[in-house]
Amino acid sequence: MEAKTALLEGRNLRKTYRLSRRNQVEALRGVDLRIDQGEMVALMGPSGSGKSTLMHILGLLHAPDGNDGPPAELRIGGVEVTSMSEKTRTRMRADTMGFVFQSYNLVPTLTAVENVALAGEYAGTSRRAAMAGATEALGWVGLAERADHRPMELSGGEQQRVAIARSLVNKPKLLLADEPTGNLDSEHSHEVLALLRRFNQERGQTLLLVTHDAEVGAFCDRIIHMRDGLIQEPA
Amino acid sequence: MRLLRQLSRRKLRTTLTILGITIGIWALVVFSSMANKINALVAGGSQYFEGKILVTDASNLAVGIGLTPMNIDVADQIRDLDGVAAAAPEVQMIFDPEANAFGGAQTIVGLVDGSDEGNETFELRAAQGRLLTADDEGHRRILLGSDMARQLKAGIGDTIEMRGERFEVVGILEPTLTAPDSSVFVPLESAQVLFHKTLPAAVQEAIPAEELISQVVVFPDSGTDPAALAALIEERVDNTKTLTGAEFDEQVGSATAIFNAIIIGVAIISLVVGGLSVINTMAMSVAERTREIGIKRAIGGSRRRIIRELVTEAAVIGLIGGLLGLGLGAIVVVLANEAGRDSGTILFDLTPGTAIFAVAFSTILGMLAGVIPAWSAARLDPVEALRYE
Repeated sequence: MEAKTALLEGRNLRKTYRLSRRNQVEALRGVDLRIDQGEMVALMGPSGSGKSTLMHILGLLHAPDGNDGPPAELRIGGVEVTSMSEKTRTRMRADTMGFVFQSYNLVPTLTAVENVALAGEYAGTSRRAAMAGATEALGWVGLAERADHRPMELSGGEQQRVAIARSLVNKPKLLLADEPTGNLDSEHSHEVLALLRRFNQERGQTLLLVTHDAEVGAFCDRIIHMRDGLIQEPA
Repeated sequence: MRLLRQLSRRKLRTTLTILGITIGIWALVVFSSMANKINALVAGGSQYFEGKILVTDASNLAVGIGLTPMNIDVADQIRDLDGVAAAAPEVQMIFDPEANAFGGAQTIVGLVDGSDEGNETFELRAAQGRLLTADDEGHRRILLGSDMARQLKAGIGDTIEMRGERFEVVGILEPTLTAPDSSVFVPLESAQVLFHKTLPAAVQEAIPAEELISQVVVFPDSGTDPAALAALIEERVDNTKTLTGAEFDEQVGSATAIFNAIIIGVAIISLVVGGLSVINTMAMSVAERTREIGIKRAIGGSRRRIIRELVTEAAVIGLIGGLLGLGLGAIVVVLANEAGRDSGTILFDLTPGTAIFAVAFSTILGMLAGVIPAWSAARLDPVEALRYE
């Protein structure tokens, strides 16, 4: 078997949300997972299965719980991230992660190209260079002509392609997509998935898609099923 | 550009906030300009009275100026006292008895050049023509303060009529920003004639014009305490009242202190109202943009960066409000001064310092007010913020 390089390795990932003093939700109850470089993985499961929580932890938006039980480990590109400060995590998000959300999440006052450039600026690129990079990235998703339109002037599918361009502009190690087709009709869903697949195949972009759509799952190399805060071994 | 688009997203609210700051800064500019004028006037007076004693008739009511008739022999009596270097008899009278005296009365000053015997330290310079000299005594000649020249639209060689006497303009003073700007100077003898005409018939008969004065400016010897000399004058010379430089500062200074307190009050009110209004606007703006802040944080925008964006936005609100307030204030100042010019009531002096202070003040106010909402925005959990609808 060909030895693959792990991009992401997690062990003992747990997360409990305290909603009030008595009411707490064990969203993740000890997850181990590995995603190799160049993989396109679907994370599937019913609502409340913990898939979003896992994505937030892998995306460095939340830290895994560090107490009660065996210590959590999370390495991204070989770097241990569990003990990183908020500031370092933010920086790492900007440099090595790309995010695509269900509801596109573009900044409404900015044009398409400015939205994409924002990610470049946050990663430390000068505004001029970020704008140039953003124009290029919009070309990748076939929206070069729509660069100066505001989000509200674009269709849902176009907005999501802008979001994909934004997630890719810093050439991230890992692209995390949370229900990227959740708000799109089947035609635009297909368009967006094909686009993600193309980046995966042509550039070896590692992708993790959170979805509950089996069709989306079928599009990926591998599916990780989750239920009740745990990964279910392949049946 | 991006920032202005962001601000224009809620046009009405941003406009109202800017308007609030505009009004505050407008008030600050107008009041400060008024304070500048009055403070300059008082500072000039303070400088003029330093080390001098003004002697007036005991019944004189005005502060810092003698307008009540007295006999010129008072000057002779004072001159005989120990510690007096010079005692200059003068006539001062209101230029236009009908005029409103707010912001420094316009006066006619009559004195013999050189009667200070070289002790005068408050120097006047002619911008055009010349100053009066002792040789002008007996002639109807006049020297105009800068504001008076503008008000009377008079130049060198023109003739000005006051109370039936015609005077030839021989000089116009450089601006001093204080009393001489709104004064006209004539030889003592001319002033005595004018003053005499204004008095009731009974007084006119009791005292001939050439013995008539309204105040004596006393220069103490060096080494003589003005306060002690003033006390001596009041004791030895019947029916006199004195004002030393220190007393002037105390009496007039307390009036300006009240005025300055009003300015500070206006500044504080605009600070509080404008500041709260910016805090409110920015807090609402942050609440509305919770999701957007979540996006920015998620894609790698640091807390510092989020704070910087929001604080800059608040600072721009302050800056725009400040510039508009300054603009409106400047319009009021210019129009009011133009309107007041003919009646000689120039109330405002908008200095570059005041202008810069007003704009800097509102910008910093905006920034500080933006810090609190920006800070809370930066503390948001990105995941929570993204879920926010």
